[in-house]
Amino acid sequence: MAGFVDRLLRDGNAPLLEQTLRFTAARHRLIAENIVNVDTPGYRQKDLSPAKFHALLRDRVEARRAGNKSAAGASEFDDLRAEIESPRRGILFHDGNNRSMEQLMADQAKNAMMHNMAVELLRKQFASLEAALRERL
Amino acid sequence: MIDGVNNNLSVGPVGGAGGRVTAAPAGASFADTLKNSIQEVSRLQQDASQAVQDLATGKTDDVTGVMTAMEKSDLAFKTLLAIRAKLMDAYEEIKNISV
Amino acid sequence: MFDTLDMGASGLMAQRTRLDTIAANIANANTTHDAAGRPNPYRRRFVVFAAGQPNDPAKAGVRVQSIKLDPSPLQRRFEPGHPDADADGYVSYPNIDMAVEYVNALEASRAYEANVTMMEVSKAMINASLRLIA
Repeated sequence: MAGFVDRLLRDGNAPLLEQTLRFTAARHRLIAENIVNVDTPGYRQKDLSPAKFHALLRDRVEARRAGNKSAAGASEFDDLRAEIESPRRGILFHDGNNRSMEQLMADQAKNAMMHNMAVELLRKQFASLEAALRERL
Repeated sequence: MIDGVNNNLSVGPVGGAGGRVTAAPAGASFADTLKNSIQEVSRLQQDASQAVQDLATGKTDDVTGVMTAMEKSDLAFKTLLAIRAKLMDAYEEIKNISV
Repeated sequence: MFDTLDMGASGLMAQRTRLDTIAANIANANTTHDAAGRPNPYRRRFVVFAAGQPNDPAKAGVRVQSIKLDPSPLQRRFEPGHPDADADGYVSYPNIDMAVEYVNALEASRAYEANVTMMEVSKAMINASLRLIA
């Protein structure tokens, strides 16, 4: 019984969206640390690349479609890890900090939108399943 | 008189679920319409699922397109559910007709 | 996700300390005597930030590591009649440039606002996630 429900939740888009939420939360933490340390001398900005995350996700989707069934219960998306990198963009100021407030604000806004969008889509997935199960609107 | 009634009515054979229940002329049967509707709903749901997947993996930027596709599939699915509920109610009613 | 609120709080505190220091500089721009009344011109102060929370440097955040005195030379103005004038008639005034202090104050308040915005975004994201079970 539990296996059937597991499969139901695993085969759709819910795992992708869950990983997206994990990513946006982790990225927000890094951006927050960057904003807080905007005047700290010698501090280097940290970031997670959304492009690399999307590429990783695409690979896992392909693997799932190709039928590489992992062990019972495990999802192909569970062990997704993105690497924290130090982007080399921006001016290096005299105090050794390569801050850019404008870039941080823009990244923060985009990340928050990605997060909210993933939450709404995930909610819709669960709501559709529930409607079907209830056999009622 | 009873024979007359039997001869005048031309009710078709009662088939499985969705079989002809009216003295309908030749044309699309209710079963075919229902089957097409189900296929349409399934297609819309697959489109929506693919659209969400593309958005989540970064293949597309078109948020409005994805939301529209999701809304369409959701609406179609709910319509199908409503039709099913009506059919079930109709079936219950007919079943309870005492002969 | 909730630790971003702690990070924001530490940022607010740090920028506030910086603003206080700047305010002290502006207030003492012409102070030539110290608290005991002896001739001792006020020296410009500035804050040095470091990464890490104030009570736990291992956690992400920012703290004021120290408040240092600016070693640059004091201003010397020619006022022969002043009681504190030296042998050449010059009086030493604090090494504070108003324009620099104003710009720094502006930047500190901008950083303060950025911290507030970040905390608002954190709250919005957490609330959005809560809608999953609503």
